[in-house]
Amino acid sequence: MIFALDFFLRRLSQGVVIVLLVALLIFTLLRIVPGDPVRIMLGPMTSPSVMEETAKRLGLRDPIPFQFGRYLLQVVHGDFGHSFIRSAQGGSTGGSRGQDTFDTANRASVSELIRNTLPYSLLLAGLGVLFSLIIALPVGIAAGLNSGRWPDRVALYLSSVLVSLPNVWLGVVFILVFSAKTGWLPAIGYQGVSYAILPALVLAVELAPVMIRSISVSVASNLLENYVAVGQVRGLSRYRIITHHVLRNASIPLLNLLGIQIVGMLLGGLFVVEYIFNYPGIGLLMINAVFQRDFPIIQAVGILACVVLVCINIIVDFAATTIDRRLQY
Amino acid sequence: MDQTRRQFLGSASAVAAAGLSVSSPLTGRAYAQGKKTVVLASMGPVTGNWDPTSHTTLGQLSFESFIFSHLTRSPMQEGKADEIQPDLATSWKLIDPNTLEFVLRKGVKFHDGKEFTAEDVKATMQYASQSSRPAAAWYPGPVDVEIVDPYTVRLHTEKYGYPASAYWFVASFLPMLSAKDVADPKTLEKRPNGTGPFKYIETDGDRNIIRANDDYYGGRPKIDEVVYAYVPDSNTRVLGLLNGQYQIIERLEPEQYQTLAKNPDVVVHRGLSTENKYLHFRCNKPPFDDVRIRQAACHAIDRQQILALMGDAAQPSSCYVSPMKWGFIDIPGYPDFNPELSQKLLADAGFPGGKGLPELEYITSIGFYAKTKEYGELIAAMLGEQGFNVKLSVLEPAAWEQAIYRRADGQGPGHMCDVGWITGSPEPDLVLRPNWDSKAALICGVNDPEIDAVLDKERNAATPDERIKILQTETFPMIAKKVPSFSLFSAVNFHGMSKNMKGVYFFPNGPIDLSKAELT
Repeated sequence: MIFALDFFLRRLSQGVVIVLLVALLIFTLLRIVPGDPVRIMLGPMTSPSVMEETAKRLGLRDPIPFQFGRYLLQVVHGDFGHSFIRSAQGGSTGGSRGQDTFDTANRASVSELIRNTLPYSLLLAGLGVLFSLIIALPVGIAAGLNSGRWPDRVALYLSSVLVSLPNVWLGVVFILVFSAKTGWLPAIGYQGVSYAILPALVLAVELAPVMIRSISVSVASNLLENYVAVGQVRGLSRYRIITHHVLRNASIPLLNLLGIQIVGMLLGGLFVVEYIFNYPGIGLLMINAVFQRDFPIIQAVGILACVVLVCINIIVDFAATTIDRRLQY
Repeated sequence: MDQTRRQFLGSASAVAAAGLSVSSPLTGRAYAQGKKTVVLASMGPVTGNWDPTSHTTLGQLSFESFIFSHLTRSPMQEGKADEIQPDLATSWKLIDPNTLEFVLRKGVKFHDGKEFTAEDVKATMQYASQSSRPAAAWYPGPVDVEIVDPYTVRLHTEKYGYPASAYWFVASFLPMLSAKDVADPKTLEKRPNGTGPFKYIETDGDRNIIRANDDYYGGRPKIDEVVYAYVPDSNTRVLGLLNGQYQIIERLEPEQYQTLAKNPDVVVHRGLSTENKYLHFRCNKPPFDDVRIRQAACHAIDRQQILALMGDAAQPSSCYVSPMKWGFIDIPGYPDFNPELSQKLLADAGFPGGKGLPELEYITSIGFYAKTKEYGELIAAMLGEQGFNVKLSVLEPAAWEQAIYRRADGQGPGHMCDVGWITGSPEPDLVLRPNWDSKAALICGVNDPEIDAVLDKERNAATPDERIKILQTETFPMIAKKVPSFSLFSAVNFHGMSKNMKGVYFFPNGPIDLSKAELT
């Protein structure tokens, strides 16, 4: 219990520092790169003086540290602010809005936008991980148990092929083959779970090679451990050693992989895949926000992604320590 | 509180399974069967503020055309740019140079049931033309509207110093609002209420849903429902058309148009747009503050090569407005490719062979218009051949949009910008004034009293015949002589649709008329 308390206090305080640094980085970069959100908000016909007035009203001309402090205070109170571009009706992206109609009440709450899109992304990510496990577990375990033999080579070749497929290209090919040509699955937008299958398969193809490699290496190295030989001497069957000991111990690196690489890859992959499939998740929200320089959405999604990564890492490390008490994080 | 590993893994699996099951409410959203629904994949978003005078967004202008009607209708067909058809007005005439009369159609109702009468025209026109409205730049200026009787209005412009004929073409662009809504701006912003063929139903994410107006004065549309979906990526739009999820898609790339043209399951449409593409010179800073340098640059550019590169996506034109605009003419003496003349002008300006000229930044975009990067490189190379030292800056749309317009200090970055200008009416002033009148000159920053004078002269002409003569013999030639900008070509729009769509009309500025369309 004390161990858990100490672990979480230490790791959470480290996590807060990481999130703060990432938030500051995103916040500053957004204000340095070219692309003025006020131009997009108010449109081409707006006079420079009106643009300046609006920018000042939004606090965009204040010094960056001052803007950041104000933003943090807002976030601490649970308020991620309102979108610069999206309307309160929540349905639109786009700008060129009149300056006199540009008030907070008319703009969508960022928290609400994230709440509305997050379930779609969670569904997609969940299916993506599920499909990748369905591919990676049998292939990776078979490769690990038969190190140096044909299942190992098949796993290597398969991983090499899958890792070489760019998800942008694969998404387009999947839509063409499985939706446009054969009509087997719907592909664009979202009207039900079936719409998440093709984009999830694209994600799975991206995730599976990393998983296959990690599982096969982990299983193979566990087979070389002393406890396997000891188990055999004690009369345990190979089947029992593998299912009750090797696979369990081999799952620790997989857990770490899930925490560090897989969630990171998912976050990156979701943005691309959701854009190609016009899938209404948090990735599409983010991509459109970047195109439109919708700072409040970019900041909130960036911070959220960082928080998720930090939390997943803490949970995974805790889980690994719980499974094997010899590990210290 | 100690847990065994088995218990821990068991709990983790349960949490994961619960996480997946949470998503189940997302399933089962099905649309009603038997309805004739058209999903239109749009490249432009809407703002969500439904007051048509509050924005200048292309996507929303197109969406509004389903819901709102106008006094007149301009089909803007090539060769017949000045054709005007009756819509909410059945006839119109100039009473005198400062008075324009419209006789209104009877028995028309707004979607909320209110009858359309002269008071709605008065409220709409007086509201939209206020200079404080964000879209006021579309309209010639303030106007007084006199209600002669419930179905006749007269527009008076004398007090404001410009002729009433300035509203001749704009009447087919200004959406008619209900006077009741104009009096209550909050309601006006909240939902669109027009007299058009489709009624607004709801907004669902990036999809706006409209349904056929049973009481439409032109007859109920045969399509029951239109889903206007914002789909930013052109590949996704094409794939959605190919797999049958979309029935109409906007803004194809030229290569996509060529590929789809060979597909028997889809129909493609190619139409000249109201948009010209311009190379704007920053006229308020060296070296392009010298007209000779601007002329030298224009004579260095071989537009035939640009057209060859653009293929289907461009049409030759030598004018500051598109052939779909009233007054268009291929301007006699428009700068042609003439390297000798370019060299002579450079030498006259004190930069023989381009020696001594600073590095010139040419700002263009990628992902917004067709092939801008490709023809930008071509132009930079052609200018380089004459001694101009050009640096091409290719920016993504948001950065490009910030870069092209002049800032509060009157200056903008770079020396040349690639920009198009699309407007929804045959009226040429919607292009000419924002770009070359020194009071605006949003991009090039030209400040030339002679150009201002010929712009005012054409606008203040007493009759359309006189105006078109001034435009073609004085205004356009003057701009071509001073070349604050160089019009490169007229842009072409590409659309794709399912082969079972019939009777669709594509306006050259973007909107699509589905009031007579069928989905077989």
